[in-house]
Amino acid sequence: MFAPAQAPAVAHARHTPGTGAWLLLSPLLAWLALFVAVPGLMLVVISFCARDEIGRIVFRFTLENYARAFDPAYLRILSVSLWQAFLSALVCVVAGYPVAWCIGRARERMRGVLLLLVIIPFWISFLVRTYAWISILSTEGLFNGALLATHLSGEPVSLLYSKFAVVLGLIYNYLPFAILPIYGSVEKLDRSLMEAACDLGARPAQIFARVILPLTWPGIVAGFLLVFVPAIAMFAIATLMGGGAVPTIGNVIQNQFTAARNAPFGAALGTLLLLLFFCTTWVLLHLQSRFAIRNSPASSLCAASEKA
Amino acid sequence: MKHKATENTEITEKDSGGSGGQGFGFSVFSVALRLKISIATLVVLAGIFIFAGCKKSGVASGQTLVLFCMAEYVPQKAIDAFTRETGIRVAQENFATNEEMLAKFTAGAGAYDVMQPSEYTVETLVKQKLLLPLDRARIPNFKNIDPEFLGLPHDPKNEFSVPYMAGTVGIVVNTEKIHGPVLGYADVFQPAHRGRIVVVDDAREIVSWAMHAGGIPVNEVTAENLAKVRPILAQWLPLVKVFDADSPKTALLNGDCDIGIVWSGEGAKLFQENKKFRWVPPREGAHRFIDNLVIPNTAKNKANAEAFINFMLRPEISRMISDEFPYTNPNAEARRLLTPEQRGNPASYPTEKAKLETFRDIGPMAAEIDALMTDLRARLK
Repeated sequence: MFAPAQAPAVAHARHTPGTGAWLLLSPLLAWLALFVAVPGLMLVVISFCARDEIGRIVFRFTLENYARAFDPAYLRILSVSLWQAFLSALVCVVAGYPVAWCIGRARERMRGVLLLLVIIPFWISFLVRTYAWISILSTEGLFNGALLATHLSGEPVSLLYSKFAVVLGLIYNYLPFAILPIYGSVEKLDRSLMEAACDLGARPAQIFARVILPLTWPGIVAGFLLVFVPAIAMFAIATLMGGGAVPTIGNVIQNQFTAARNAPFGAALGTLLLLLFFCTTWVLLHLQSRFAIRNSPASSLCAASEKA
Repeated sequence: MKHKATENTEITEKDSGGSGGQGFGFSVFSVALRLKISIATLVVLAGIFIFAGCKKSGVASGQTLVLFCMAEYVPQKAIDAFTRETGIRVAQENFATNEEMLAKFTAGAGAYDVMQPSEYTVETLVKQKLLLPLDRARIPNFKNIDPEFLGLPHDPKNEFSVPYMAGTVGIVVNTEKIHGPVLGYADVFQPAHRGRIVVVDDAREIVSWAMHAGGIPVNEVTAENLAKVRPILAQWLPLVKVFDADSPKTALLNGDCDIGIVWSGEGAKLFQENKKFRWVPPREGAHRFIDNLVIPNTAKNKANAEAFINFMLRPEISRMISDEFPYTNPNAEARRLLTPEQRGNPASYPTEKAKLETFRDIGPMAAEIDALMTDLRARLK
């Protein structure tokens, strides 16, 4: 719906939702209002407040929290967190794409089983899985045990409590979030489009770049966002697998609301992060529409085939 | 840390009905919308379950006591025994540091009946008039406490607090890996130990080590003194590999760190586990902490809270605490029940006289310590 080339085709198919639709939507809207809009507003309000001696919020307008948030040290933490999240999202999308592709192209009956396999890790508590990684990566852990037993290395490798461990933890935890949306768009790919491209003389690489990639781009964007956005603020993995020595913006914010007892400063950092999310989403949606325009032949081909 | 656990279950329903947009709609929005709908469904379902669960538990038992205590500090066995005897259910909520406890308590997170602050936080809470005075007649087992732990500056008449466990902060050395002499903080934080150090993740604690090392009394927290310790901390912190508020012993046990500054109970456990972990009381001086049981003004049933405190002071119950969490037991009667091995653990019951000091409430300067540590740690690479 962001691609102008598709717009005419969508327009006449759509009609305004009736009362029934609004009624069905109302739980969602109420949920969004209660748990997204209201807390968001509270966050913004608190970010302009002060705190008292033991950390209670004092409703007195101040810009101090923002002044402190723009200290280079915090901007650097933010950039490190953004980089870690970006790296994780990129790896998740790149590694998840072939998986999603295989599942999406598999026989109908196999798809359910394969999807289940992607989802199964969620049946185990996130904390248990993260602690499992600790026992795998620690100096006297499984990985180093195997390394020493096979004489691949004479000395244990230090893996845990490092940036590497944090990014690994993020990728491990968020990979399914990338696979599922990509699977969603792969599954709907029309095989005849690829056959048509082939008939028209496109090489496999061209088919991928000109037909498949543009058509699955929305899934890629969704997958990227679903990893990138939560990964920026994830603090548990940085604490458990990173040892807390290299703080992420999520750690700093969490710490302000707990041990440091400075909710207003935490709120200021949170508000900045919120703005950042808006910007990221906007840029990606913008890119998506640009992408669709540049590849309009494929898009219109798609639109044509849908009409037929 | 624990609140994150639920977040990941939400996606499971996603994309099972993939026909949504009839070929056009695989935009971010449709995917996101379907995701949101399935999340909303799950939230509603979860809500129903939680609601049903609450109602059921409310009907089944008469009373519930809300205990706000440190993670891994109150034995489940003792709590179960209390519930068996009195019929009062105990709901437990945890914190990792005193500051976190204050944050949650002042934010109105829960109507706690019993809390477990350390000495300096008792003082803060008393000053802010957030505690209820204890009725000593309802806590006869108070007599079991060793006078050494009573009448201290944070609560001179013990009107508001009863010592639960005490301990110190000290150095643990893995003697198989570290051979040089380690006597104090300055020996721990040396470049040779870079990337091998684990410390308790507690801002006031860490700052107090630098104050000890700099010869500044730990309770004289002023802007000038903080400015003095700042360069010391700026040198120390980059050497640290792990900051852990919950269980700093783990990094030592797993071999990821070779030297640490931890709570004495953790040090005692390490020593129990393997004699290679040597306990060193820092020669510059260290924090002697006294963790207490108190009743906050949010308590719904003060008599139940006092019954719980009295129960925890029974020698055989207090002994259970020592069995699981080998800190210094201030309960003289309970200490009599310990094995010679428990009493001989150098971390729990140090023999050499170390220079120890309790913390005092430092008022608004506590915020300055938090800010100093936040800023210094933000600079770590």
